[in-house]
Amino acid sequence: MSEVPVLLETTLRVALVIVSALCVCCSYRVIRGPTDPDRVVALDAIATNVVAIAVLFAIQTGRGLFITVSLVLAIIGFIATVAVAKFVIDGEVIE
Amino acid sequence: MRTTARAVVPIIFVVSASLFVEGHNLPGGGFIAGVLTTTAFAVLYLAFGLDFLERGVLGRDVEPGKEPSRDRIVTAYRRLFTIGLVIAVTSGLVPLLFDLPFLTQSYVELEGVPIYDHVELASALAFDLGVYCVVVGGLLTILSVVGAE
Repeated sequence: MSEVPVLLETTLRVALVIVSALCVCCSYRVIRGPTDPDRVVALDAIATNVVAIAVLFAIQTGRGLFITVSLVLAIIGFIATVAVAKFVIDGEVIE
Repeated sequence: MRTTARAVVPIIFVVSASLFVEGHNLPGGGFIAGVLTTTAFAVLYLAFGLDFLERGVLGRDVEPGKEPSRDRIVTAYRRLFTIGLVIAVTSGLVPLLFDLPFLTQSYVELEGVPIYDHVELASALAFDLGVYCVVVGGLLTILSVVGAE
C-alpha cells in the first residue's frame, strides 16, 4: 500500500500530533507527580502512547516493521506495569 | 496473575522465535529475541516466584534460604552465557579459514523444503544464536541474582 487516501493522511497527521501532545502532558505528571503511583501511571501512559505512535507511523508509511516495534514495546510495557503493580501490592517484585 | 502468565508466556516465546528467525533480512535478530525471552522468564518469576523453575519445572529440591548465586539454575545461565560467547566468536573466526575477512557472512537458498518451500539459510544465524545465548544468559543471571536480594 503506497497510496494513502487524503482523508486518512490528514487524520494520521492530526492523530500523531495529538498523541505526541499527550506524551508531553504525561511527562509533566511524571516530573511533578505528587506520589510515586502517579509517576508510574504516567510512565505507563507514555509507553502506550509510544505504541500508538508506532502503529500510526506504520499506517502512514505502509511498512510492517513498525508493527513489530509496537508489539515488542507493548510486551515490555505490559511486563513493567505488572512488575510495578506487584511492587505496590506485595512490597517485593520477585518472591 | 498466574492465569495471565500461562496465556502470555507462550505468546512472548512465539514472538521472540519469529523475531529471531526473520533477523537476517528484517529488523529483529538475536538481541531483541533474547530480550523478549528474558521478559517471558521475568513473567514466570513474577507470577510463580524465584524457585518455581527449579522446583516446579525441573523437579529439583531447593533449599529456600540458600545463597542464590550458587543455585544450579544460575550456574546454567552462566554456562549459557559462556556458550553463546563461544558460538559468536567461532562464527566470526570461521571465515578466516577460507581467507575471508573476519565476520564475513553468506547464505544458501534451499528449494523444495516441506511446508515452507523456499528457505534462506544465512550463516549470520550462527552469530545471532551466539548473541541470543549471551543476552538470555546474562540478563537471566542478573534477574535471578538481583531478584533474590
